[in-house]
Amino acid sequence: MKGLKKLISFAAVCGVLGASVIPLSACAKSEEVLTLRVANWEEYIDLGDWGEDELIDIQNPYAENPDDGIIGRNSIVDDFTEWFNSQNFGYEIKVEYSTFGTNEDLYNRLKLGDVYDLVCPSDYLIMKLIAEGAVEPYSDDFLDAEDESNYYTRHVSPYIAGVFSDNGWTQYAACYMWGTVGVMYNPETIEDVEDINNFDILLDEDYYKQVTVKDNVRDAYFAALSILNKDTLLKGDITAEERTALLNATDEETVAAAEDILKRIKENVYSFETDSGKADMITGKVAANTQWSGDSVYIMDEAESDETNPTELWYSVPEECTNLWFDGWVMLKDGIGGDERKKQAAEAFVNFLSRPDNAVRNMYYIGYTSAIASDTMFDYFDWYYGLSLDPEDEEYFDEEITEVFEYDVSYYFGGEKGDYTIYIDASAIDFDRQKYADYKTIERLGEEYGNDIEYTVYSGIDDISRGRQAFAQYPPESVIERSVVMQDFGDRLGAINQMWINVRCPDLLDFNPVVVWSTAGVIVVLGALIVVYKLRYRLPSLPRRKGKNNPV
Amino acid sequence: MKLRFNRSQLCIPYALFLILFVIAPLIVIIYYAFTNGQGQFTFENFINFFSSTNTIGTLIYSLFLAAVTTVVCLIIAYPTAYILARSGFKKQHVLLMLFILPMWINFTLRITALKEVLALIEGNIARYTFLNSVIGMVYDFLPFMILPLYTCFLKLDKNLMEAASDLGANRFMVFLRVTLPLSVPGIISGITMVLLPSMTNYVVLDMLYNSTYIMGSLIGSYFSAYDWNNGSMISLVLLVIIFIITLVTNRFTDKEENSGRAVL
Repeated sequence: MKGLKKLISFAAVCGVLGASVIPLSACAKSEEVLTLRVANWEEYIDLGDWGEDELIDIQNPYAENPDDGIIGRNSIVDDFTEWFNSQNFGYEIKVEYSTFGTNEDLYNRLKLGDVYDLVCPSDYLIMKLIAEGAVEPYSDDFLDAEDESNYYTRHVSPYIAGVFSDNGWTQYAACYMWGTVGVMYNPETIEDVEDINNFDILLDEDYYKQVTVKDNVRDAYFAALSILNKDTLLKGDITAEERTALLNATDEETVAAAEDILKRIKENVYSFETDSGKADMITGKVAANTQWSGDSVYIMDEAESDETNPTELWYSVPEECTNLWFDGWVMLKDGIGGDERKKQAAEAFVNFLSRPDNAVRNMYYIGYTSAIASDTMFDYFDWYYGLSLDPEDEEYFDEEITEVFEYDVSYYFGGEKGDYTIYIDASAIDFDRQKYADYKTIERLGEEYGNDIEYTVYSGIDDISRGRQAFAQYPPESVIERSVVMQDFGDRLGAINQMWINVRCPDLLDFNPVVVWSTAGVIVVLGALIVVYKLRYRLPSLPRRKGKNNPV
Repeated sequence: MKLRFNRSQLCIPYALFLILFVIAPLIVIIYYAFTNGQGQFTFENFINFFSSTNTIGTLIYSLFLAAVTTVVCLIIAYPTAYILARSGFKKQHVLLMLFILPMWINFTLRITALKEVLALIEGNIARYTFLNSVIGMVYDFLPFMILPLYTCFLKLDKNLMEAASDLGANRFMVFLRVTLPLSVPGIISGITMVLLPSMTNYVVLDMLYNSTYIMGSLIGSYFSAYDWNNGSMISLVLLVIIFIITLVTNRFTDKEENSGRAVL
């Protein structure tokens, strides 16, 4: 009977609990908050909290008062949540924002079962995810350029849009940041600046243990292929297709040749660095460093504002080619799971980041180049790098700068040559002043501000490979022409990873045989001695020698 | 009410820890080591390990680096521990503290500081990667060598040495026949505490610009390349090696301790 009583009371408790849970969950449903799970690179978004002096003083058509300029007070993610929940979407969201350190890290986490709705991997991982069928395509509404609120589709650079459509990514990915791969250098420690023009500085014995390389198989492989194909790449008549094919070769012969080159690089360079390159460049431990353009901007800013030892660093894009890379937002089928509202929220997130004022905030905060190219973005570029011609502008006007360079980024902002140009300090671009003597004019650029300095203006020069922040952030068209998008290695990934391991691991066959055998010999002898020592009492005692010392 | 535990109940927290973080991962490692990407049973990873001159080369390089580190640690630690244990009571604690003090700070921070010191001495530190790796490792592991030796010397009975010199042994013979044999357990446990971890401590190499892989970085590179099977096999082989070394050294310590007790 006792058992039955227990059972009844248990059933009663269950019933009461059940009855109370049902209405609770029912009322929760009507106010349900949708969670958007976003994964992005570390330090790859504006976290807000800017000082008032960091105000970007340009027209902001997206603010209530356009004269307020652009400033990051809260993090973009918080701003998005607030904005989204104030709109009439019919539901509320909250963003679960997490970060990853490398593409491989993200991929491993996805494979381990972490679920995200929206992630921001690099080009090759996007390709891989598309090939695996894991990517949820963007809706037609998102790609509709007529709709005012589709900031991404309306404002993405026509150049970026072209690359994305050439590669068949338009439906699947929305570009966030992009850039080139080049070589950062310190002109004071480099003997001849021409040395930096090619990737083979990595093999140059004059720079033995002075150049550091990114510890990343794709960047290393790209550099090796550039060195391998240097002569072909530098011939004038190479087509873009040929160049792309050369730098995406993954056949056995090429991989083996790259392995040889990388082994020599490993002997010659300072190190393969994961993150130490930034600090070593700033402190002057290394003379040059292969680097992504966005990080270069950051490093140049840091180095010149270093209080104890300000250094002027430069960024060079090798003459033979450069790797053009993109990070883009993709939605994942696993996370979205066919939920239209979630998809809408994810697309809204991408559009919010693409709203030009937010794109400016991100760009200012992280140093990379946004894929967005509206007039606001151009204003920002001009505001940040353009020469101040107004003598009343106490903060930025410098009467000693009289030589200016007319920098042309029209290809990026969508215009004919000459449509989008800014005047920058000519000392921030490295070009041959003798060679371009004909491109020089003398102009009074600042007449409207009552500035009567006669400026020497160099314009129409596109053939430049070395410069400072402006050059690293928006490379000129000539750099883009020799750039290559590196494809995913596909089923050759295993072979190339193995090649990288071979480069990094000491090879038994490379060891000096004398050393190997003598070490082995010493170990064997030591082992034998220890055994003999341990067994010394168990060994049969030697017969005593008969001699004069023995007692008779 | 009084809380009463019997002995086996007191073990529960540790047993849980052991199962969750030692046994379970071990089973996962063994599973991955003997399967391929499709989850089928295979010996391929095993063959891969022993047929590649690169993995064997890495193993030898790691062993060599670890051995050099251990020897240097021993050379520095042995006299230090002896002096520490023999010094007067008041000084002893201060001195010991000086050697333990660095362990209170995280080792990556210490290596970052060491990097600057080495740069000051050597100039371009990337030129001496092997030397720097050894210095970094020694810096990192020295306390682990000093402590077991120190406790060993503390236990050492002074009378034994006095007896030996009374019986006519000179100082060198006293050391060779009495002090050294009695300190073998300390030496052995010091060696196990330095040799084994320094085979895989790749962060030191990374931070001191040695781009050559040792076992730790090799395993890491396989895992980040999403090749869990080969990575697990290397971990497993390493585990077996560590197991063998521990087994051998344990025999040594036991015997020596017994003989030590017999002497006492």
